[in-house]
Amino acid sequence: MLKNKINFMKQIRQLILGILFLLPLFMSAQELIKGNVKDAIGEDLPGVTVLVKGTANGTATDFDGNFTLQVDDANAILVFSFVGFETVEITASSNMSVTLQESSESLDEVVLIGYGATTIKDATGSVAAITEKDFNEGNIVTPAGLITGRVAGVSVTTDGAPGGGSAIRIRGGSSLGASNDPLIVIDGLPISNSNVDGSRSILESINPNDIESFSILKDASATAIYGSRASNGVIIITTKKGKETFQVDFNMQTGYQTLADKIDVFSADEYRDLITERVDLGQSGISIDQLGNANTNWQDEIYEDNFTTDASLSMRGSLFDKLPTRFSLGYTNQPGIRKTSEFDRGTASLSINPKFFDDHLKVNLNTNFSSVHNRFAEGVEGDALRFDPTQPVYDTTSPFGGFFEYHTNGEPNNAPRNPVASLLQYRDISNIQRFYGNFEIDYKFHFLPELRAIVNLGYDNSEGKGNKIRSIESIRGYRTGNNQPFLGSEETYTSNRTNKLLDGYLTYNKEFSNLDLEVTAGYSYQKFESESYNSGNLVDLDSESDVQTDPDIVLIGYFARTNLAFNNKYLLTLSYRRDGTSRFSEDNRWGNFPAAAFAWKLGEEDFLKDSNVLSSLKFRMGWGITGQQDIDASYAYLGRYVTGTSNSQYIFGNTPITVGIPQSRFEDIKWEETTTYNVGFDYGFLNDALTGSIEVYLKESKDLLANVAVADGSNFSNAGWQNIGQFTSKGVEFSIGADIFNTDDFRWNASYNVSFNRTEIDELALGQDIEVGGISGGTGSRVQVHREGFSPYSYFVFKQLYDTAGNPIEGAYVDINQDGIVNTSDRYIYKKPAADILMGFQSTMNYKNLDLSFNLRASIGNYNYNNVNSSRAQYNLLQATTALGNIPTSVLESNFNETANVLISDYYIENASFLKMDNLTLGYNFNELKGNLSSIRLWTGMQNVFTITNYSGLDPEIFEGIDNTIYPRPRTFLLGVNVKFN
Amino acid sequence: MKTKKIYKFYFLLGVLLFFSACTDDLNVIPKDDDEFLTEEFYAEPTAYKQALAGIYGNLSLTGTSGAGSSNLEGIDAGTSQYARTLWYLQDLAADEPIWSYENDEGGAVKAIQRNTWSSTNTILLGFFSRSMFSVALTNEFLRQSSDENILRRGHTSAVGNDIAAYRAEARLLRALAYYHLMDLFGKAAFVTENDPVGTYQGPQYERAELFTFIESELLAIENDLVASRQNEYGRADKAVAWMILAKMYLNAEVYIGQDMNTQCITYSNKIINSGFSLASDYSLNFLADNDFNEAGMNEIIFQLVNDGVVTENYGATTVIINGEVGSLENNATDLGAQGWGGALRVRKQFAQKFLNGDVPLTDERNTILTEGRDIEIVDVGDRDSGYIITKFKNITSEGDPGVDPTFVDTDFPMFRLADVYLMYAEAVVRGGTGGTTGEAVDYVNMLRTRANSTTITSGELTLNFLIDERSRELYWEGHRRQDLVRFGLFTGGNYNWVWKGGSANGISLPSHLNVYPMPANNMSANPNLTQNPGY
Repeated sequence: MLKNKINFMKQIRQLILGILFLLPLFMSAQELIKGNVKDAIGEDLPGVTVLVKGTANGTATDFDGNFTLQVDDANAILVFSFVGFETVEITASSNMSVTLQESSESLDEVVLIGYGATTIKDATGSVAAITEKDFNEGNIVTPAGLITGRVAGVSVTTDGAPGGGSAIRIRGGSSLGASNDPLIVIDGLPISNSNVDGSRSILESINPNDIESFSILKDASATAIYGSRASNGVIIITTKKGKETFQVDFNMQTGYQTLADKIDVFSADEYRDLITERVDLGQSGISIDQLGNANTNWQDEIYEDNFTTDASLSMRGSLFDKLPTRFSLGYTNQPGIRKTSEFDRGTASLSINPKFFDDHLKVNLNTNFSSVHNRFAEGVEGDALRFDPTQPVYDTTSPFGGFFEYHTNGEPNNAPRNPVASLLQYRDISNIQRFYGNFEIDYKFHFLPELRAIVNLGYDNSEGKGNKIRSIESIRGYRTGNNQPFLGSEETYTSNRTNKLLDGYLTYNKEFSNLDLEVTAGYSYQKFESESYNSGNLVDLDSESDVQTDPDIVLIGYFARTNLAFNNKYLLTLSYRRDGTSRFSEDNRWGNFPAAAFAWKLGEEDFLKDSNVLSSLKFRMGWGITGQQDIDASYAYLGRYVTGTSNSQYIFGNTPITVGIPQSRFEDIKWEETTTYNVGFDYGFLNDALTGSIEVYLKESKDLLANVAVADGSNFSNAGWQNIGQFTSKGVEFSIGADIFNTDDFRWNASYNVSFNRTEIDELALGQDIEVGGISGGTGSRVQVHREGFSPYSYFVFKQLYDTAGNPIEGAYVDINQDGIVNTSDRYIYKKPAADILMGFQSTMNYKNLDLSFNLRASIGNYNYNNVNSSRAQYNLLQATTALGNIPTSVLESNFNETANVLISDYYIENASFLKMDNLTLGYNFNELKGNLSSIRLWTGMQNVFTITNYSGLDPEIFEGIDNTIYPRPRTFLLGVNVKFN
Repeated sequence: MKTKKIYKFYFLLGVLLFFSACTDDLNVIPKDDDEFLTEEFYAEPTAYKQALAGIYGNLSLTGTSGAGSSNLEGIDAGTSQYARTLWYLQDLAADEPIWSYENDEGGAVKAIQRNTWSSTNTILLGFFSRSMFSVALTNEFLRQSSDENILRRGHTSAVGNDIAAYRAEARLLRALAYYHLMDLFGKAAFVTENDPVGTYQGPQYERAELFTFIESELLAIENDLVASRQNEYGRADKAVAWMILAKMYLNAEVYIGQDMNTQCITYSNKIINSGFSLASDYSLNFLADNDFNEAGMNEIIFQLVNDGVVTENYGATTVIINGEVGSLENNATDLGAQGWGGALRVRKQFAQKFLNGDVPLTDERNTILTEGRDIEIVDVGDRDSGYIITKFKNITSEGDPGVDPTFVDTDFPMFRLADVYLMYAEAVVRGGTGGTTGEAVDYVNMLRTRANSTTITSGELTLNFLIDERSRELYWEGHRRQDLVRFGLFTGGNYNWVWKGGSANGISLPSHLNVYPMPANNMSANPNLTQNPGY
């Protein structure tokens, strides 16, 4: 992969360069040493400091990595150093060729902190930086995949569908009812967490190859500058920018994706035996006459292996010798493992980043365009598990397009529907065009160079168009009544979301003798708009189209921050933001979000400075208040009426009347506030060959926004958005990264992170439980609860009774409240879906030109509710109304008969702790190539390598814990090539 | 230099103005064509009728955008439909129907039909919240349609005399909601148009207080209500108010410990004498065109309107008719609904009321299908056992299916004349004055003659006869639990039906089950509410 540093580093380089170019003028010429410096993959490194050891004599490499240096002694030792790379000392020789290795965890790395930047070593808050060299490898389709498992306290649960979204949680979230998604900021533009209709996720349209770095702000002292939206952490994404050096990168990879695992249901032969056996045992409603002659594995029929393609091309260089520019094209095709599903993405990005007036004026223009084509495949797993394996997929006599279906003379029976027909007879496609980007002007005042004015304009527009057509031959199509012909269905929709941003701020930066001062103050305005259209079912003449225009969301903020550094040892950050939101009434809409952080660079103190072992140590403590207003009510404080749709009218006389219904109104709704305390140490040992941090945090959210019950009769629902209760999230995070071996031929660096997190509800309005977690198997059934004193989404189930042999007794539960009746009051809280411990481990080994890397990820203490089994693995379900139905083989263990008796049993709560290897990659680099070709890397890899778990379901990784069939995460075998020219 | 300073000043001023102007953007308003600020909605005088339709609509609809939408939370949309939850609590809880899919609503349906409910049962929440939503809608309507508001909006002449009837009907629907709450829970939170919108917690009204309130409301609006049978179809008239009053008086012994059978007769007579008549055929009351067929025009006093296209909901009649489609019978076409594979069957004790010889098998009210089935339901989940019925149909009297195979056109007949006849007879038997035994016998025999059944003599007109006859005439119409409670048969062990109390053959129930527990969630949302004794 291309090794490049982010924008700020470039400036530092050039600064050093500029200074050092001047140095030779003061030197007396004796011996002239020439050489070239490259990085590990053979890319020329400009701006590397080259010093004669023990002197002030030195230079810096030019744009092509070349240097010349006069030395007194022909055998002088030269010291090559550069930010982000290991420093090396080499005896001078003529035509030196020097290779610098990147340091594994550089403390000099620049991290963006919102309206500014700092370095890891000067950061006062809990901030993690992931740059390109740390990104996960393999089949990464959306940006979140780049950082999965990389950062302590950050969990990323990615959907198995191609281009599917990722649920990202930083430190377990901080809200009950409001959003727990972190704020994602791309080049200064906070993006909406709502995606346009027809899109799979907010990040699907972003090409991971265009991303240069992630900054992850975890604690409030870091995030509070984003005030109202910062409670769940902030992820700042920086895209790659234009540079002066010309370079072309080409990446191409192809993958072959296969199904990693299946759910165990009875095979056709097993099923025949089972039906025979159950009929003999007297089970009613089924008969062996209903069995067919086919042998169908319905799961095999709904999935297919596929090839994936990903290609990207990027070019960098100066346009007209003036404008550093980057242009990239990307193409991704992921057919998806479920038949008919598809994700097809083309992206183009253009970044122009010139400087004018002696670098007083910097202009950044970043534009990104993407076009995504999706075809969605319905989740037919339920039908595939259920469908009788002795029936065929196709039936030449079938009136339903040649697919086998249960029917009587074309009149459908009440029975499962052929899942293969459901997929192939339905075409649900969408096309999304997204344009996003920003235009930033950064002006350093001529008369006061310490002062900069920055204006950033951001724009993000997504337009989705979709079309859903069900074949006229489908048994699932619309028809006007029994015995009427099937008409299929057709629906079209469009959706448009726009997000506009204006940020303006001033930054004053001055170094006094013992004090470095930075002050930033500014203003931010952002507006989100959304409109959509749905045609309704076009073949149903009664169905009507509707245009839905969402109310705008407007956010306005004023912010200020100051960073003070005394003697480069004591760092203090104070920040303040005042935010207004359109979601609340004029009296409540403004919130104040202060934060403070203090850091002490212990490593710079005399008593540690000379330690040979400890190379750096920093103590940090931070406090801050952040807010939350991201709820799905746009203006709950306003009195409003909604009129009913055409199918929700009432009839007076013979005339349908459009009903007018007042909407719930909560005038006092206001900000949810989270106070975060964070204490940590950043450490480095052995010249920072081993670095990491350990930290402890406590997050307390109050005035939780949640949609909760309201006294009946006083409002226009029985529930609504109110500020209720309190919530705590606390945890410990530890990370370490090390260069375990670092020789010329063999290098091994590895990193490990672990986080312990516990979330607990402290208080709910009136102490009232909130039932959540809808499941399948019973209309309106729920299996989770929010309750005071427990983790959110705790399972709320019956306690199963077992016989002396340890087998569960069907329908027998502990009478928890001992009132003599087992009823819904006897449910208890048992386990939770959130993990107690999350771990990540990454390893990269290089031997000469060969590299091998893998990552492991573990989750411990997370429990799933196995809804696949609870709603299916019972013998009575062998009868699928008028047909036979298959059931999971786990019924052999439980011997349960009736779903209703067992659905809410704790028997189905299972430990879903797991260890996964997400990726394994083996690569070979061809360096020192001829001409303009600078390097070629060939690699092969495997995605979703293995999962170790005791969980009996398909995949233990289920967001929020209710496992009712998922889009399976495929196993992908990969082959790729990266080529660089310059 | 001076000009430069001026420029700077203007620049800063401009920036300030720009920033302050933008804060007005925080005042957002609805942009959708289906959503309005309150005053915007009431800008047109037609809005009052739309808001009134919203209150009526709450008896059928669950939300504003189709059958899956709901104004309520914490419960499945369909399982919070007014008539459906009422039907669960009045009929499913008693001796007539049984629901096959007992895991629905997390076992809440099971607990209702097995009488093992607790305060956390979501169906209780569903009905309580749905009926209190009627109260909230009425209160809002009364506030918005006040003389003052109508005058202020300049609508006085446009709405004319209609508004008085609208307001009376809204109050009637509020009284109806409180009547159901009084019957089922014995108490409710009392909220009127004078209370604030938001998080106000209404005081608890006990049964007697509710009784007094409902009675006084119905009497107060009597004059403003449209005369009997003169209102638009679907809207309530004076007879509906009389019906609620008659029902309250018949059950007054249960509600307030007073014998008010005489008043029951008085109000029954008012209804009977206001022009209603029996349809020529019993079945007409339960068909897809029971709005404008003979029954709809003459016999049904108040119905909850259903239409497969216009009022989509998973409510009582949709559930009943789809539920009636048997697991063995392939009778979806006969019933005009696609069916749910045998969701509903009948309990043995109900079937016997038609089959044990008390009435001839020719009795047309008997819609039981027995072929290939056993009367016993040993396993509730076994949809092939137990008899099924076909009383409600999504087929018109002409034999045409309703407009949609899922959402039926059949209106739910909440009150009909046959019920009034039986109430009259019962009040007479219970010693009420103002009626005669002869007339009582005649009324009963009118029902039986219409049904092609046998007639009875005055000697046969007993309470024991009436409780069974009410079941034969009114089964699955949402009256059964109330009737059994009034007869002292719901709790205790004098009358057991299959699965009563969760036992296959039925067991005695403790008397506190005569009212439902206050739903836990609604109670904790309003701490003024207290739990009923025994729960």
